[in-house]
Amino acid sequence: MMTRAAQAPARLAVPAVSLAVTLGSLAVTATAGAAQEEEAVIPGVSLGFVYEGERIPPIAIRPFTGGGPVSEIASIIATDLDYSDRFLVRDSLPAGVGSEGVQYSLWDQYGIDWLLTGRMDSEAGMAVLEVELHDIVFTSLRASARFPIPSPGHEGFRLAVHRISDAVVEWVHGDPGMAASRIVFAMRPFGNPRSKELYVVDSDGEGLRRLTWDDDLAVSPAWSPDGARIAYTSYKSGLPTIYELNLADGSEQTVERSSPGGQQFSPSYHPDGDVIAFLTLEQGGTKGIFTYNIRDGCCLTHLIGGHHQNIQPVYSHDGSKLAFLSNRLGPQTPQIYMMPAEGGDPELLSPYRYGQGGYFADPDWSPTDDKVAFAGGIVDRRVYNQYHIYVRDLDRPDNRIVQLTHEGNNEDPSWAPDGRHLVFAGARSFGYGVFVVDTATGRTRLVVAGVRAQDTDWSPRLSWLDGGAETGETGSGSARRDTPQDAMQQPRKHLQNPKK
Amino acid sequence: MSNSRLTLAALAIVFVAAACRPDPPPPDPAPTGPTAEELERMRQDSIRAAEEAARRERERLEREAAAARERAAAAARRTLMETVYFDYDEATIRSDTEEKLRAKLAILRNAPSVQLRMEGHADERGTSEYNTALGNDRAESVIRFLTGFGLDMGRFSSVSYGEERPVAQGSTESAWAQNRRVEFVITAGGDDLGR
Repeated sequence: MMTRAAQAPARLAVPAVSLAVTLGSLAVTATAGAAQEEEAVIPGVSLGFVYEGERIPPIAIRPFTGGGPVSEIASIIATDLDYSDRFLVRDSLPAGVGSEGVQYSLWDQYGIDWLLTGRMDSEAGMAVLEVELHDIVFTSLRASARFPIPSPGHEGFRLAVHRISDAVVEWVHGDPGMAASRIVFAMRPFGNPRSKELYVVDSDGEGLRRLTWDDDLAVSPAWSPDGARIAYTSYKSGLPTIYELNLADGSEQTVERSSPGGQQFSPSYHPDGDVIAFLTLEQGGTKGIFTYNIRDGCCLTHLIGGHHQNIQPVYSHDGSKLAFLSNRLGPQTPQIYMMPAEGGDPELLSPYRYGQGGYFADPDWSPTDDKVAFAGGIVDRRVYNQYHIYVRDLDRPDNRIVQLTHEGNNEDPSWAPDGRHLVFAGARSFGYGVFVVDTATGRTRLVVAGVRAQDTDWSPRLSWLDGGAETGETGSGSARRDTPQDAMQQPRKHLQNPKK
Repeated sequence: MSNSRLTLAALAIVFVAAACRPDPPPPDPAPTGPTAEELERMRQDSIRAAEEAARRERERLEREAAAARERAAAAARRTLMETVYFDYDEATIRSDTEEKLRAKLAILRNAPSVQLRMEGHADERGTSEYNTALGNDRAESVIRFLTGFGLDMGRFSSVSYGEERPVAQGSTESAWAQNRRVEFVITAGGDDLGR
């Protein structure tokens, strides 16, 4: 941190970056002049992925016992563990594995490190899955827990199962996974060329559904830190306005306008969940980045303006900084900066070098604020968008920047709650889609295929609390702000599934 | 030789035809003259006819004037609403855009109650937030041009749609060129046009 602060005055200079040792990465040469090439090399940017020498441990899931939807649950968990990129999931098991007890030697011969077993039970009329994680290498029970499971028809069912997957990741690796989370994005609904609506999908690509039905433009959604609300920009009043949608009851609030003609864009929540930073554009009026306390309905504050564009503010998760986009270095070379959240000197984050050009946008902080992801490139944009996803490592003394994508167009990166995966809106030769990339291995998967999504935003970890009623009537409304899981599990009309 | 004989024959036929025309008919008996009532009725009829004709002419002129006003208003409206276009990633006014804006300027000066909303757009290249700002820059650039000639800033408002409302689909230079634009919406004073 000190090193970076010392470099801050030299804002035009890109911090000297030594090429990190990146196993499996492409060789980087200093032929930066070839800006028109698809795989243009940006000085100081490492291509490829950062393997930390981590061995990915094999795991097996023994068929769960006890009846009920056990095979469906095991299948969801297997997919989650695969998507966590922290396990090799063995899907064909040896014969005679039994269903009681664990023969460690047998599993050891099978070559796995971990074994997950499960038994469906019931407790006070509620289905409960008792899960055990066995350490085959050390022949011991690593962890066990009982998870209440609603019936498969209940809206909270998949989320409840995802929580088991995240617990397994945590038992082995210390940090929970990101299975119990969702991704929100904007796209054009089929057959309506003039509108865009918000959609949400589970982290594993299941349960895609539509959130807004305004028949107008709804864009740039952002999750609240508790996962119970989504702030977004809508044109439904005629002027672009920031709305906060409460997922539990569908109610909405708006952000105060700085002037009658002020257009509001790009909301981002402060970690307190009350304050929203956003962009205001108005001819003749005060432009730039504002903050507003939407909980108390007060305190509209102008943070940064000027005749340059300063747009797309994003709060860090500790609330101390704002990353944003500015074209202060040149009208067609927007770059990523960060500055103190209360305003102050901006510090350049994207790989700018004088004369090189370049276009960088869509900043997003990792959950621990040690990295900033963004999209962009130095390719000739007149040909077509060929942006890639980059990650700037703030805690490393070499200020390493790693390029994570190498084909097509890639925009709107957003960190998963595990701080390891990024979702982004991508275009490939086979079409558009919502993609997830593992920043450690570079493994990329399609979450939603064939949709031209934009403004992808990954939720915080969502939980599922009351295990009860199918009707979803229990406990609603009482502690809404503290139980986002309640918000997400109730069958509400604005969470209806797309018509079949 | 044969020519002169033909001419003689033709003259003979004309002469005979003239001699055969019947006598003109005897002249009508001298008119006895209309009665006083008839004269009065005729006078009234002619007054009515003249008035009717004058009314029709007046209406025709009014219709024509209204139609002319309507045509002028429609032309003014067309000129005002004509979309202007921009170069890639630029908000500067290029020459064809300036020409269109000068035409709008003349109309706006003559119809001071007319108010406009500028709707700025961008092509799909670039990120959506950046293009929102770019669309806004284009709308502002147009407003700056018009107010630079003394028009009141209060007559203009702006909305940026960024890349969200393309008029042309597809990822071609021609589609992009059509999408880099500012559209105009008359928000007040439209009735003043054409007067």
